[in-house]
This record gives sequence, structure tokens and C-alpha cells, in this order.
Amino acid sequence: MSTPTTARTTPGTTPAGPEVTPVETASTRSVLGGHASRLQRVGMTLPFGDERHLAAHQWLVDEAWLLDAQAYSDWLALLTEDIHYVMPVRVTTALGAGFDTSPGMAHFDEDWYSLSRRVARFLTEHAWTEDPPSRLRHHLSNVRTFATEDADHLIVDSATLLFRNRGDVHEGSLVSAGREDLLRHTPEGWKLARRTIMVDDSVMRMQNLAIFL
Amino acid sequence: MGVRRGRLEGANTMTDQSGVLTDVRRGMIPAHIYNDRELFELERERIFGRAWIFVAHESEIAKPGDYVVRRVLEDSFIVARDEKGEIKAHFNMCLHRGMQICRAEMGNASHFRCPYHGWSYRNDGRIVGLPFHQDAYGGEAGFKRKGQRLLPAPNLASYNGLIFISMDPDAEPLEDFLGDFRFYLDYYTKQSKSGIQLMGPQRWRVKANWKIGAENFAGDMYHTPQTHTSVVEIGLFREPKAEKRKDGCTYWAGAGGGTTYKLPEGNLDERLRYVGYPQEMVDRMKQSLSEDQLKVVGEDGFMISAASAFPNLSFVHNWPRVAESDDVLPFISIRQWQPISENETEVLSWFAVDAEAPEEFKALSYKAYLMCFGSTGMFEQDDVENWVSLTNTAAGSMARRLLLNSRMGILEDDTEVVPALTDEQFHGPGVAHTGYGEYNQRELLNRWADHLEEPVTAVSTVEVGGPGARPAVGQEPAGAATAGGTATSTAADQVGAQA
Ligand code: FES
Ligand SMILES: [Fe+2]
Repeated sequence: MSTPTTARTTPGTTPAGPEVTPVETASTRSVLGGHASRLQRVGMTLPFGDERHLAAHQWLVDEAWLLDAQAYSDWLALLTEDIHYVMPVRVTTALGAGFDTSPGMAHFDEDWYSLSRRVARFLTEHAWTEDPPSRLRHHLSNVRTFATEDADHLIVDSATLLFRNRGDVHEGSLVSAGREDLLRHTPEGWKLARRTIMVDDSVMRMQNLAIFL
Repeated sequence: MGVRRGRLEGANTMTDQSGVLTDVRRGMIPAHIYNDRELFELERERIFGRAWIFVAHESEIAKPGDYVVRRVLEDSFIVARDEKGEIKAHFNMCLHRGMQICRAEMGNASHFRCPYHGWSYRNDGRIVGLPFHQDAYGGEAGFKRKGQRLLPAPNLASYNGLIFISMDPDAEPLEDFLGDFRFYLDYYTKQSKSGIQLMGPQRWRVKANWKIGAENFAGDMYHTPQTHTSVVEIGLFREPKAEKRKDGCTYWAGAGGGTTYKLPEGNLDERLRYVGYPQEMVDRMKQSLSEDQLKVVGEDGFMISAASAFPNLSFVHNWPRVAESDDVLPFISIRQWQPISENETEVLSWFAVDAEAPEEFKALSYKAYLMCFGSTGMFEQDDVENWVSLTNTAAGSMARRLLLNSRMGILEDDTEVVPALTDEQFHGPGVAHTGYGEYNQRELLNRWADHLEEPVTAVSTVEVGGPGARPAVGQEPAGAATAGGTATSTAADQVGAQA
């Protein structure tokens, strides 16, 4: 685990453009991502007509629907057992600081066990924060797909904008984030093996993150 | 005149609130105190203008030049470790035209340069650069650059590395303010001689009044079986029933109080290992905690859980399962309920871990924290839902007609339902009770009432290099700092900000 002292020199985590191959992943920089696949993107964005892109894009749209519907058991079935699901805490730092996430801290830093507990909780009849449930809409855009060294893996970048509204008193709240996913082809179809969520807020404007992005 | 009139209105407001304070003191809570603009203005002046407010931990600024920017209400402070290793806190406003000097949340810098006209300051607050000093001011004759420094926090002190600011230059010493609550603070922050490392914070805003979280963490064991049913149902805890909480005790001492769980039979080592501490950490606790602190666990069988220190700092210690196994692992969180308004709070939630803990323990303890508390924590999710809803409901006219009963644990004649634990049953300072009760919520709100009742003393103003600086007068009403014309001492003469 990183101490603040050493982690402060960690290079920044701004999502890289297509021409730059990241030297490390957000998983390797996080506290609990040691088990995650290290596969990285290779080459330029796949053409939008490429079958691999079409498959990845459809996977993301279908997933967004599951998340809107809070069909979390179905969603959990789309994750690989070695999943790493990380959402760093973003911090405002000087341009030259070399980092823009909080050293050693994230909102989510999850493996299959912790995600399965979160899902199990929503399936009890006593997760009050979602009873009555929120109205959710995950707006998905900017989908770009990249090959990796392994034909069974794709990297997909996307933007997501979650609108969440509860009750009838407060206005809805928004979370905007960029994501980088590692999709793995399995006998049961494509599954999510790694997800990095780069949220655009340093101070979240949502009462809790009883949602998934 | 504007200032003077504001002052009178403040006094009238206070008269109006005396009934509220009387009700609060008898454990009957006027529901509107959780969403009331006038009370919030009083809290701003009389609580946040006087009490010691947590801003950072020394481990967050471990190296010379490290800084974090933290607020006390609206006031932004640069909390930095200077080149000599001393901790300083300065108001984050340029002495020239008032630009915010540091717009990052954290980083490492030997100097801060104002983006507006380029005045620059060392990380100990001293001014070092003033462009065109000679041309613009005629040098030292026009503007004495020498000796000028950013406005220091009125008062700065630390305990176990926890750094606090008080906006009152005459505040009582931090140790006196905290009083015997320090005994309990040590469990969270002094598990070894090296103390804690703090990670984070996660920050998020909730549409809830700041007092609700502070009260809940101070003593609300009663909500656990209901609010947190789901977390027990999914097998996160070894204890099968959340109702176990009533076997624990709540305690109040000095500026704070908290809750505990009752541990199964066993000696000190067994009981600490029961909540998941490896033997090497147990051994270090035996070195760094006092005999009485160890007796509370080893002899009395109580393990600290949630706690709050007045006004808005809370702690939590719990021990969930972090994998498919029967083993549990403890975590600590420190959190602050930073008021934004009467109905909005910014939560700052840190993960804390003993600096000498094994690396694997640190990682798993962090995992335990993320699963339970913070922006994504499964406990926190349900807590916040309650607090937002309560705050909403407290906004209107009906809430002004309702006095909530906060008298759990006492009978009509104020005698206790269950007598307080004796010194033999509980070796900690203060007063402790087993069973469900709202002793601590009452203690916290009594302190709140005491602060609201007492006017704050005047603040002095600081003149930046003006002609013929005069000594402090200190007779202006609170809030006069913006009124101008009150010349006092120069910035360099202000109360030092040594940690
Ligand atoms: S306001 Fe900072 S240099 Fe002018
Ligand atoms: Fe709770």
C-alpha cells in the first residue's frame, strides 16, 4: 500500500489519448488492484465499422440498461472473477504536480467479493437508501475501442453521465465520468475484467454512491 | 452603521432562541433546529467562530513543502509543513488585492505565487516577491515588504498529529477543549508510537444539517438494528444480530463521546485479536496505550466503535469480513461534517491506519473501510438517506410545533433507566452507560446550546503595510473585519501559528 509520502510522486492519471500507450494502469496504481489484468491498448482506435468495436459498443449499451434498471444480479454475471473496479478520488492539483487523484484513496476499489456484497445488499429488503428506488439514467457516449496483445481482450473507452433523482423534493444529481474498460471474451460472451472510472468531480454532488458507473 | 445594526439584530435573535436552548437542555428538541437559517447564522458565529475545528493530520503533509488546503466554513487555509518542518496555517488570501493564492487542494511547494499580480510567499507565510516594489511603491518607504506574511490562522494546535484551527485567538488550549475525550481519541490515533496515516478524504455533499451526523456518531446505537439491517443480512459481520449493540456502552468525556461493542470473554490479547488485530499490532498497542485504556478493552470488555468530538468531527472503528472467510478486519475512519448551510453539509471522510501496521493489514483495512463507510460505504449509504430526509422534513412550519423526545435512557424525573457504570466496570473517564440511550446526543446538544448562548468576543483586524500601524484595540464587534478603518497590529505581530 502506498504511503502519502511515496504516492505523491506518482505520475498523473489523466486518461491517455489513442497515440500514447499508458505505462501503467489505474489498477496498478490503486491499493487493491494488484490482482488485475495488466493488458493495455495497442494501436489506434478501431474503425467504428469494425466488428470488435460494434460488439464492445453493444455490450456497453446493454450494460447501461441493466444499471438503469438496477438489475444488479444480471450485471454481476457480466463481471469476471478477477474483476478490478476502481474509481479514484480526483483532487485539484497544480498543472505540474504530476498527479490528480488522491494518493491511496478511491471511491471504489473493488474485487468480485466486495462487489458481490454490494449487489447482495441491494437484493435484501432493507437497503433503505434505494427503497423507494432512485430513477437512474446512464447516458453513454464517446465509445472508442482498442485492440490488445490478446485477441480475446479489448479495451473500451467511454463517457458516462449518470442522472439520478430521488423523491420529489430535491433536484436530480449528476455524475460525469470517463471510463476505461477491459473486456474479455469468454464462453459466455464478453465480460468486464477491469474498469477504471475517472469521475469529473473532486467533491461529489450526490448524497452517496449507492449506484454503479 | 451596517455592522452596528447587524449586531443588534444578532442580540435580538439570541433572545428569541432562549426558548429553543431551554428545550434542548431538557432533552426536548425543537425539530426546526435541523433546518433553520437563523440558528445556522448563530452557529457560524458562536460555534465555528470559537471552537477548535479539525483541518488535517500531520501525516497528510509529511514532507517539508507538503500542503493541503482546508476550510473552516468559508475560510480557506493553506495548511503546510514549512522548510523547517513546522506546521503552519495561513488564510489563503493574497495580501494585495485578495486573490485566492493557492487554488489546488494539495501538493508540495516551497513558494506560492499569486496568479493576479505575482506577489509570492514562502510556505511559512512570509512574503518574498513583490513585482516592481521600487517602481510601484517607492520600495520599503511606501510598502514595508519586510515582515509581512499571510494572515495566520487565529489559533493552531495539534493532538496526536490531528491539526485543529480555532478562529478565536483567545481560545482555551486545545487539550483543555478536548478534555478527557483525549483518552478515547488515542484508541483511533495512537495504536503505536508512530500514530496514524490518513488517506483521503473522500468528499461529497449531502442535503442534511451538519449536527445530525455528529449526533448519530456520538451515541446512536439505537439505529443500528434498523438502519443497518441489510449489512448484517449480507454476512458482513460476525455478530449475527445487530441488536447486540445494547450490550455495549456509550460514554461521554470532555468534548466528545462515543459508542462501544461488548466483546466476548477473553483477555486483552484475545479481545484485540477477536476484532482482527494481528499480534504484532496488539503488542504495539500495549506499549502506546495507558493501563486504563487497556483495561477498558481487556478487563471491562468494551471495544470503541463510533464517536464524535464537538462540534463536527467523528470517528468510526468496526471490523467486518473483507473476503469469503470467517476472519474480520478492523478499520478506522475520521470524518468531518463541514457545514455549507443549514440544510447542506460537505462530508470529508478519511481512512486512518496505524503507521506501523503491516502492509497487508493496511490494504485490507482500507478495503474494510471502503465497503462500510465513505462515499460508497454500505453503512453510510443508509445513514445519509435518513439524514437528508430528516433535514427536509424539518424545514417547514409544522416542525416548529414539534418537540422531539431525545430523553432515551432517563425517566421523567431525570433519573437513569440503567445506572451509570461504576469505575470498576468501566476504566475510562467520563460517564458510561450500557443499553440504549441518548445521553451523548444530549451532551452534544447541551454543548451546542452553551456555545450559542455565549456571545463571541470581538475580532481584531490586520492592516497590510498601512501608514502608521496602530496596536490592536479589539473592541469591534464580531464581523467587523470587513468594515475597514480599524487599524491594529501588523500581520507579523499576530498570534503565531506554531503547531
Ligand atoms: S492580488 Fe495577489 S498579487 Fe495582486
Ligand atoms: Fe449508521
